[in-house]
Amino acid sequence: MVPELGSFAIILALCFSIIQGVSGFKPFRRLLRLSMTAAIIQFIFLTIAMLCLIASFVMQDITVIYVREHSHALLPVLYRIGAAWGGHEGSLLLWCLILAGWTVAFILFSDKKLSQSSRSNIMMILGFISCGFITFLFATSNPFQRDFPASLITGNDLTPILQDPGLIFHPPMLYLGYVGFAIGFAFAISALIEGKLNQEWAHACRPWIVLPWSFLSCGIVLGSWWAYRELGWGGWWFWDPVENASLLPWLSATALLHSLVVSEKRQSFKGWTVLLAIITFTLSLLGTFLVRSGVLVSVHAFANDPTRGLFLLCYLAVIIGGAFLLYGFRIKDFYQDPQFELLSRETFLLLNSVILLTAVFTIVIGTLYPIILDALSLGKISVGEPYFNLVFLPVILPLLLLMGFAPHVHWKKQAAGLLWKKMRFTLFFSLIIAVLVPFCLGFEFSGLTCLGIFLSVWIILATVQYAHTLKQIELKHWGMIVAHVGIAIVALGVTVNKSYSAERQIKMLPGESVSLAGYQFTFVNVDEMRGVNYEAVTASFDVQKNNSIPERLEAEQRIYTAHQETLGKPGILVNPFRDLYLALGNGFPDGGWSVRIYYKPMVRWIWAGGFLLLIGGFLSLLSQIKKRDENE
Amino acid sequence: MNRLKQVRSILPFIIFAMILFLLWRGLGLRPNQVPSPLINQSAPEFSLPDLLDAKKSVTHKEFAGHVTFVNVWATWCVSCAEEHRALLQLAQDAHIEFLGLNYKDDTIAAKKWLQQYGNPYKRVAVDSDGQAAIDWGVYGTPETFVIDKKGVIRYKQVGPIDNDAWEKTLKPLVEKLRNERA
Repeated sequence: MVPELGSFAIILALCFSIIQGVSGFKPFRRLLRLSMTAAIIQFIFLTIAMLCLIASFVMQDITVIYVREHSHALLPVLYRIGAAWGGHEGSLLLWCLILAGWTVAFILFSDKKLSQSSRSNIMMILGFISCGFITFLFATSNPFQRDFPASLITGNDLTPILQDPGLIFHPPMLYLGYVGFAIGFAFAISALIEGKLNQEWAHACRPWIVLPWSFLSCGIVLGSWWAYRELGWGGWWFWDPVENASLLPWLSATALLHSLVVSEKRQSFKGWTVLLAIITFTLSLLGTFLVRSGVLVSVHAFANDPTRGLFLLCYLAVIIGGAFLLYGFRIKDFYQDPQFELLSRETFLLLNSVILLTAVFTIVIGTLYPIILDALSLGKISVGEPYFNLVFLPVILPLLLLMGFAPHVHWKKQAAGLLWKKMRFTLFFSLIIAVLVPFCLGFEFSGLTCLGIFLSVWIILATVQYAHTLKQIELKHWGMIVAHVGIAIVALGVTVNKSYSAERQIKMLPGESVSLAGYQFTFVNVDEMRGVNYEAVTASFDVQKNNSIPERLEAEQRIYTAHQETLGKPGILVNPFRDLYLALGNGFPDGGWSVRIYYKPMVRWIWAGGFLLLIGGFLSLLSQIKKRDENE
Repeated sequence: MNRLKQVRSILPFIIFAMILFLLWRGLGLRPNQVPSPLINQSAPEFSLPDLLDAKKSVTHKEFAGHVTFVNVWATWCVSCAEEHRALLQLAQDAHIEFLGLNYKDDTIAAKKWLQQYGNPYKRVAVDSDGQAAIDWGVYGTPETFVIDKKGVIRYKQVGPIDNDAWEKTLKPLVEKLRNERA
């Protein structure tokens, strides 16, 4: 009964998405109301569908194929809720639900000054995006499909690496980001249809970029943290296609955020803003395509099916191909002669866009290169970390240098001498810190490390200096300050982590000890234990530095009973400046164990900086809301 | 100038169409079957210290004139321990010349291992930081590369060499390669 209700709710939601799209065609007040009402009803039905799916999981209704494949009688209830979006069908339903949620948010909270025709257009575009995705959901991936009889099967269980609290939050957070860019996309198309992009438009659009951007930042951080804890290699970023798929829209959305500021404050960069909004949503959809079609193999590609891929591809062709064509025909209306000098804040923000887009391009090439070669029958290769580090760093490092300057540069025109006079001490001071600190702490000298530390310190100092020059730091400044410092902290964490990490892979018998980076790891014993749906071996280690009081570190090796799949749960000792990370490998017949030990300095800073981005985004949003309230 | 603007405005569409075409072609491909790109390529050049005598070095020149099995192993690898007996047997009975690549391992532990369990290798190269293994495209341990008399990689065995792999694949291959001219 419940699954049928869910299916029915999806069909109704599909109908209402069509009504929403069609009634947005003409900007009449009544039609607009109808479109909005349809969107709200659609959201209600999709919520019902999601609740039905969760209920099917909680009740363990194994006649539903999707539940059978992703749940198990022994799976804890919390993970069963997470399992509702742990597979392809459920995550697609989540996608549709979140899109409807964003649409409702747009109806309720968008700027009152936005013209009625823009509203109609935006509702129409969102309606069609939603209609396409719900059709995809229902036609190729209905999560409520049933199969009778399924008498004695207990269920396939959720993939073990997904049985983690992170799974409950990570995909929804990521999707809130991805899908949220649909609103920005709809804004851009509406501007193209109307042939004008004014200050009200830019002002109304900004919150709908800032908010998804914040969620996406948070989603990426959660994903990185999850990979670190679950995959057992001590890595926090693997340049895996699915990770790239989340980084790409983030990069272009970052460019878009900055370009929008210029469009709002200076009535410039209109073509850029529209283009970036389209690209950002394209990359979000491309990410969905890459994950869902099986074109690329990756640790994350849980669902692969070519017919689904073909559907998504046609969808991309229609929605995004149409958008780019429209852009090609209409963009000449937005062209204007640049009204700023070479050295001005506009130039810096333009460079920001260009650099971020270049980064996007290099990552797209790296991610798709295996397909390019394969499609041209030139052989099969895989592009890994060395490529991405090699091409991404030279592109992104200049951006970090510019980030320190940009807030200090005036709009329209800046005298070079004044800027130099203002910034030179900060610049020198950061350089000195970058050289002296690693030297004083007795670390090995490396040019790249110094460069990384220099750029991070430079951004922090320059941002603080900027805050200092303001008469009064208002809410609108805080967003930028916090986010920029967040980036600097990420950069610092990455630099130190990449430069001074150490690892050791070794066979150990209980009682033996090894040392790494000044820490002594002693293998105490092995213990067996049983979890709810797994059996585990726990190895205990004592870790001490210079004969201090030993700390206990426990690493697990789990065998999940339903899958007969083993999964390591590494043991991690955390402090703000370093992680000690120990992963248990396989056992030898003589009682020895293969272990991997990692010393990961400042790895927590990477995620801390990432969360600062979220906070920065929220602060910026608050200031925009406050400004709007004051204007009304 | 106007022409240029026209081209520029339609450029995003063209790039997008190209990517779409690629993805469409990509749908029909099978990305899971990744053969080693190094097959039928000359073995990568290397010069690494010898495990048993650190003053000497082991290089790619070792391959000239005879068929060699390059075996990637480590003491922390359980499958290598399982494979070890087979290697000893093949070295003795089938006169296979093994060149060991000791991968990301502890040198002392590795020496002890060979003393304790026997040494199937003619020479063992030490790759403690795993840099040489990157050139060889090593995924994990154990892996075995079959090198012909000219120093060309002809086959890659992923995972331990068991009876099945030897009888069905490796043995006929070795016989064929031994008959080739240097």
